[in-house]
Amino acid sequence: MVADVKQSRAFFNAGQLQSWLNRLGPVLGLLLVIGIFSILMDTPARFLSPNNLRIVLSQTVIVAIGAIGMTLIIISGGIDLAVGSTIALTGVITALGINGGLPPSVALLTGILVGGLVGVVNGLVITRLKVVPFIATLGMLGVARGVAKWMANQQTVNMPSTWLNELLVMFPNPAWLLVAPGVWIAIVLAVCAAIVLRNTVFGRRVFALGSNEAAARACGIATDRLKVWIYGLAGLLFGLAGVMQMSRLRQGDPTVAAGSELDIIAAVVIGGGSLNGGEGSILGSMIGALIMAFLRNGCQQVGWPNYIQEIIIGAIIVVAVAIDRWRSARS
Amino acid sequence: MHKILLLIFTLSLGALAISCTKAEAPTKKLTIAVIPKGTTHEFWKSIHAGSNKAAQELAAQGTQIEVIWKGPLREDDREQQIQVVEGFAAQGVNGIVLAPLDNRALVRPVSDAQRAGVPTVIIDSGLESDEFVSFVATDNRKGGSLAADRMGQLLNGKGKVLLLRYAEGSASTTEREEGFLETMKQKFPEIELVSTDQYAGATRDTAKRASENLLNRFGDEVQGIFTPNESSTAGMLLALQDIGKAGKVSFVGFDSSQTFIDAINANQLHGIVVQNPFNMGYLGVKTMVDSLLGRPVSKKIDTGVMLVTKENMGTPEVQTLLHPPLDQYLK
Repeated sequence: MVADVKQSRAFFNAGQLQSWLNRLGPVLGLLLVIGIFSILMDTPARFLSPNNLRIVLSQTVIVAIGAIGMTLIIISGGIDLAVGSTIALTGVITALGINGGLPPSVALLTGILVGGLVGVVNGLVITRLKVVPFIATLGMLGVARGVAKWMANQQTVNMPSTWLNELLVMFPNPAWLLVAPGVWIAIVLAVCAAIVLRNTVFGRRVFALGSNEAAARACGIATDRLKVWIYGLAGLLFGLAGVMQMSRLRQGDPTVAAGSELDIIAAVVIGGGSLNGGEGSILGSMIGALIMAFLRNGCQQVGWPNYIQEIIIGAIIVVAVAIDRWRSARS
Repeated sequence: MHKILLLIFTLSLGALAISCTKAEAPTKKLTIAVIPKGTTHEFWKSIHAGSNKAAQELAAQGTQIEVIWKGPLREDDREQQIQVVEGFAAQGVNGIVLAPLDNRALVRPVSDAQRAGVPTVIIDSGLESDEFVSFVATDNRKGGSLAADRMGQLLNGKGKVLLLRYAEGSASTTEREEGFLETMKQKFPEIELVSTDQYAGATRDTAKRASENLLNRFGDEVQGIFTPNESSTAGMLLALQDIGKAGKVSFVGFDSSQTFIDAINANQLHGIVVQNPFNMGYLGVKTMVDSLLGRPVSKKIDTGVMLVTKENMGTPEVQTLLHPPLDQYLK
């Protein structure tokens, strides 16, 4: 606390200003995207309406929850390519659970835990078998997708409607929630994760691991165990994202979310995460996810074809990282 | 030594030649590979059941048929489908019944198979080639036109209509869209088409996202919506239900599933154009076998299409169309 007060007194010194700008960079990007579309749109009021905000937020939840987990992994210097497959797998398992007569809450928990299990397996393969994260999770991408198709018997799994289906509806019940319950869950998780990363020993260790693994080990951090924890924890979040995906579609679809790992990694990277590890923030990743959702939403409403959206999102990823590099080179 | 080897080689060649001539005898079992666009839609289950029915009937008539069912799991993975076709051609099945994912990408594998002595019957979706035995499919243009007639009737020839297309490069849905637009313009010139250039994408998830974005932009002004296949209709229906607009706009879809039947009964969907996939699978395999046995087959076979509404839902004709005897033929 004392340190905070001192910092705020010195708010206007150049270094502080720089760090604030760094933190605000993604936010400015988001505002720019929203602003540009408001100008291009012939009905800006509709684009900026609460309803459209609800739509975009609901559409962002799956990528956002995934990005929280991915931020942890990327800060620690790792990567997880199996997110999309994990989402499909846990969605299918939750749907099968409900069909098998499990109460929705138990099915939800099962989905999340299976996600965690997938993460722990990733962590063990990386630490015990010494396989680099890129390859270990590339393998898991295939395995989890295959298991999902197998368990779903190569079909989509339809299920009776339960309260799980209400997690991402546009008009929540009760109405005072304003946005879908899933959006609130994502916000609470993001805040918790940000606090854990910034203010706990665990969070510090994650940064230390990503900045310099050898140094972290020399300082007495059990890096292997820490990695298993990180992948496991992120896996729980991916499992929850899978439940959200199922809730959105009202069915378990083993083919869903293929390629969404790239969306999630892009969100983290646009938000200032570095694939070299040691850098990244939850707030940034959330903004990154929102930027992509607003781009899709805006392009569609302006009436641009899909390929323009793809080009723009691709360009933004590169530009965001280039600006980031340029800033860190100057400071 | 060399002579002995040569002798063995000649003998084995002779044996091979004998076994080959044997294979061409009509008493031998015929192996037919049926390759759908995907396996997760209920539509493909009906095709599978229909092809099994053909196999059973032909077996009763004395021609043993083995149907191998194999497709790419995702509906838009052209590369995977090409590999499946190539695999069967190399394996040397007697014939292929194929629903091509793309009207051009599959041209080469089909003509390669033809050259390898494996003829192909095309079902469901067109192929820009004439190196196939027969094209067994719905008259898609007529299907789109039926939907337009229904829409015009629902709106009394006035109002604003939105078309959400399915995916780029899919011939069958493009024809439905064109048939819809053509009839709309000819018969109902007073109906304005507010958006006709956006695509739903391959899955329910992408379709729901696109629908939400479009409904935010045009939701208040449109009175009618048309979607050209199962996933786009499902996605649009979910989006309409979420914002509480289901039932308030005239909505005509394509293809059938239990969800759609429930929605028709709830007045949320005001008509679906239904193909006869069961018949398509049945005629696909039957045409292939006819051609293999040297009987004449026609180059183009229409498998029928009809409009299902709440009014005609109870008729036995529609009931067998909506509930093909899947369990009887799928195990």
